[in-house]
Amino acid sequence: MAKTIRTAIIYVVVSFVIWAAVALVSPAGRNVVTGAVYNTFAKVIEIVVAVFVIIGLIQVWLSPQQVSRVLGKQAGWKGLLLASTVPMLVGGSLLTIFPLMKTLREKGARTAAILAFVSAWSGKAPLLPLEIEFLGWRFAVLRIVLVVPFAMVCGILGELILEGTMSNKRGPGVSSP
Amino acid sequence: MKIDVGTIYLLVAAGLLIASAVKDPAKTKKALAVTGKVALTVFPVLLLIFVLMGVIEACVPRQTIVSWLGSGGGVLSIVLGELLGSFALFQPAAVFPFAGFLRHSGAGYGAACGFIMSAMLIGISTLPLEIQTFGGWFTLTRNLLSFLLILALGVVFMVAL
Repeated sequence: MAKTIRTAIIYVVVSFVIWAAVALVSPAGRNVVTGAVYNTFAKVIEIVVAVFVIIGLIQVWLSPQQVSRVLGKQAGWKGLLLASTVPMLVGGSLLTIFPLMKTLREKGARTAAILAFVSAWSGKAPLLPLEIEFLGWRFAVLRIVLVVPFAMVCGILGELILEGTMSNKRGPGVSSP
Repeated sequence: MKIDVGTIYLLVAAGLLIASAVKDPAKTKKALAVTGKVALTVFPVLLLIFVLMGVIEACVPRQTIVSWLGSGGGVLSIVLGELLGSFALFQPAAVFPFAGFLRHSGAGYGAACGFIMSAMLIGISTLPLEIQTFGGWFTLTRNLLSFLLILALGVVFMVAL
């Protein structure tokens, strides 16, 4: 928690320093920056608060650990399909996803499922309201629909490449057909 | 009366929160703690990103963004969007406002898609951890493959939207 607060303070200070630097150089530039910050915050504040509440709820009712545990047990095409869709609901950044992928691997998931998991996670369904607000609903819908085949192709191609080249170095946890 | 989209989202979130509290108060308390932590992590990042958006708006002419990331740039604009995304050290929640800003400043849908997907999936800053966890060959394959597939996805976005 202390680390989170420290990081938060650093971000706020850096933001303010940049704003002050612009303000020193040009008052017109300062107005543009102030306007951008104010208008964008005004635009997103309600959406962001709603999204954060939903992220919190998803986290406790469908914990990432739970997701990776269930996906790790599913083999074959069903596992790949689940790994290409369900992770959309999982929050966090890449740094929190790697440990989950590791769990998947330890549970015996195939490489394709591990790769599909991280790719599908980029669908970021909880952030959909933000995406619609800033890029339009057509963009958001197209992306979330295409993330599924994207994740499957990434999984299958990646597995072909990795298993093809590493067949003799394969770890004990990775299943083979 | 115009109903604000944000208000609808807030009502939905409040509804879910109440349903959760009825079912399991302890879990809901935990959920709110997660919400608080996420807010504390993401809001300061949003502030910095919004300041940067203002700085870019003030310093970079629209024409520059159009010529680099505009859909007239074709496949190259997607690649540039991807490179920008790969280096961006963004919280996922900040990716969409910034992508919307780029789009608003003249970037094409393909470049916006390339930026979003690579900001999520390809991280120069996360490479060390990925190599440590999964090995160099896995990391190289995943990142390169993602880059190429995102490029294909960007082309679809450029054509479809």
